[in-house]
Amino acid sequence: MEVNGQLALTVLMGVFLITVAAWLARIEDWRSYTPLAGGGAVGGTKEQYVSEEKPSGLIRWLTTVDHKDIGMLYGVYSLIAFAVGGLMVVAMRIELADPSMTLLSNTFYNSLLTSHGITMLFLFGTPIIAAFSNYFIPLLIGADDMAFPRINAIAFWLLPPGALLIWAGFFPIPDIIPAQTAWTMYTPLSAGVGSGNQMNAGVDLMLLGLHLTGVSATMGAINFIATIFTERNEKVTWANLDIFSWTILTQSGLILFAFPLLGSAILMLLLDRNFGTAFFSVDGGAILWQHLFWFFGHPEVYILVLPPMGIVSLVLPRFAGRRLFGFKFVVYSTLAIGVLSFGVWAHHMFATGIDPRLRASFMAVSLAIAIPSAVKTFNWITTMWNGNIRLTTPMLFCIGFVSNFIIGGVTGVFLASIPIDLILHDTYYVVGHFHYIVMGAIAFAGFAGLYYWFPIYTGRMYQTTLGKWHFWLSMIGTNLTFFVMVLLGYGGMPRRYATYLPQFATMHQLATVGALILLVGQMIFVWNFVQSWLEGPKVEDGDPWDLGEDNLTTAEWTWFERKLQTAVTDGGEEEEAELATDGGETVTDADDE
Amino acid sequence: MDEAPGLSDQYRTASPWPVFVALGIPISELGLLFGLFPLAVGGLLLFCGSIAGMLKESGYVESTIRSLVVLSAILFAFGGALAFTEINLVTRGYATIAAAALLLVGGVAFELFVWDNKQAI
Repeated sequence: MEVNGQLALTVLMGVFLITVAAWLARIEDWRSYTPLAGGGAVGGTKEQYVSEEKPSGLIRWLTTVDHKDIGMLYGVYSLIAFAVGGLMVVAMRIELADPSMTLLSNTFYNSLLTSHGITMLFLFGTPIIAAFSNYFIPLLIGADDMAFPRINAIAFWLLPPGALLIWAGFFPIPDIIPAQTAWTMYTPLSAGVGSGNQMNAGVDLMLLGLHLTGVSATMGAINFIATIFTERNEKVTWANLDIFSWTILTQSGLILFAFPLLGSAILMLLLDRNFGTAFFSVDGGAILWQHLFWFFGHPEVYILVLPPMGIVSLVLPRFAGRRLFGFKFVVYSTLAIGVLSFGVWAHHMFATGIDPRLRASFMAVSLAIAIPSAVKTFNWITTMWNGNIRLTTPMLFCIGFVSNFIIGGVTGVFLASIPIDLILHDTYYVVGHFHYIVMGAIAFAGFAGLYYWFPIYTGRMYQTTLGKWHFWLSMIGTNLTFFVMVLLGYGGMPRRYATYLPQFATMHQLATVGALILLVGQMIFVWNFVQSWLEGPKVEDGDPWDLGEDNLTTAEWTWFERKLQTAVTDGGEEEEAELATDGGETVTDADDE
Repeated sequence: MDEAPGLSDQYRTASPWPVFVALGIPISELGLLFGLFPLAVGGLLLFCGSIAGMLKESGYVESTIRSLVVLSAILFAFGGALAFTEINLVTRGYATIAAAALLLVGGVAFELFVWDNKQAI
């Protein structure tokens, strides 16, 4: 049986490798011919023809190294992950409508809880940011592409296997169960110690998947740093670099220091689980894991929130009819947050009994990080003050971001205080606090970006009424669900449990109603997104938001305008398009789908 | 193209290698972690082969065989360390060594029997 299994695996692997080799041979052939489009009209070298060639259909998406295509892949991937993570939590919230165990078993609830967290943070949060940055950073800084286009593609293609591994426990594979470690993977539970079932290979698969997403994020970060440093157009200096690029640069720096540490910690945990090492099983091992994990984990919070802040800083002024107030200070505060974010990790560990002097210093830095965050908030508010505000859907999401960020931020300031934390630690207050940030702020900024740039990446316009329904349902749903959680925390409801005492039932039911409102809102979003992409009115104006009127046009819209002008000349395509697309852009980019 | 050439002023907008590099990593990781010999060998071959292909394609190296030899040397060292030192993970070590050997053989065969008549980058 054992030998047969090995044999079957060998044959499968062999067949797979031969298929890959055969396919590669064909691809090489496909790439060796010279495309038909006009000879040396542009005066380019032969290489440039090859470089502008793009295959069609599925092969294009599998082989692309174009930053815009990769941005689209990231976007699709992260929205699928958002749907998966969202449906997981809907199941959990429905279970929580009733104090006892009714719909889901407690272990399945734990599995969903673990996967919901990891999916939303690593498979939705980080990739949706990469979607925007891949598509728009090269356009904003006037680069032809990313510095390392192939590494960019590798970084993306590591994610789908990562997701499959993270979700592997849910697939009908014999003897494999989903991880139930929560996203923080605290040892000794995650080391598989004791009589529980966390020695199962499902946890190993989840750890491997997480490791892959970490490798992916690191590769992406190196690429963005190299791109922003070396690929800028001559006209783009450090002085006039846009705010979104600043936040991506800072975020990439954080990733560079944080994610490799997570990767190492995960490998140590895997070694402990499979090869008998004792990193986390000796005295102090549990606290060691917490230090390593949160040294990554807290910067991760800023990895996730800085670029969305960048999107808001970019989009919000466009609809306030003014430039961003205090641009320099927004940049400085971004950098300050980046630095300080590495000095706050132990505020997650106030209740572990670490040295009180250490606790006090971490409390001080945690309170200090509120200052640059507040600087940003005041700058956004001041930008809107007396501005000519247009409440478009992206603007609504930006304002929603600011509003939710204030509540999420202020609840966080209280948590940074040791005595309050000791009361509220591990309650729903914490869950409410960070969901105000991850859902209320990060996801809202993601939606703002998705709506704002919708004309660029689809060539069409979304349905505005549905967009506003989406916003209001999201805003009401978010505030209902998560404010109730803050109150539940004050009441002493511990987090992570599948069942609870009857006295918390009303609050939990309210939170469930809020989650269902959110679900309806996101269903409207999906409908609007897909239908408008397929059938929405085509955008013929290169400035659909009328940014030119206030002199607020940015580079990506100029690029879009140029692209539209070259695409409109259908018929005389070759020459004019060739001339105007000197810069690596082909006219077929978005219109051939 | 703009006047300021960057790190990648000449590249193709399509490449078949990244997706296989990305597949090679999880397959070899799974194989090595769980001690599944065929997966480990196949994954490492896929990973290292694709790296070599990509290095050649992007013009970072002149010849495929050299990068294959280097990659195979790294695998030999790693596999040797796994199999013959105190670490004592024999199956995994041999799997890595097998992958190294196959890479070397593949590289030599490629050098001897495949003529590069494709358009140079």
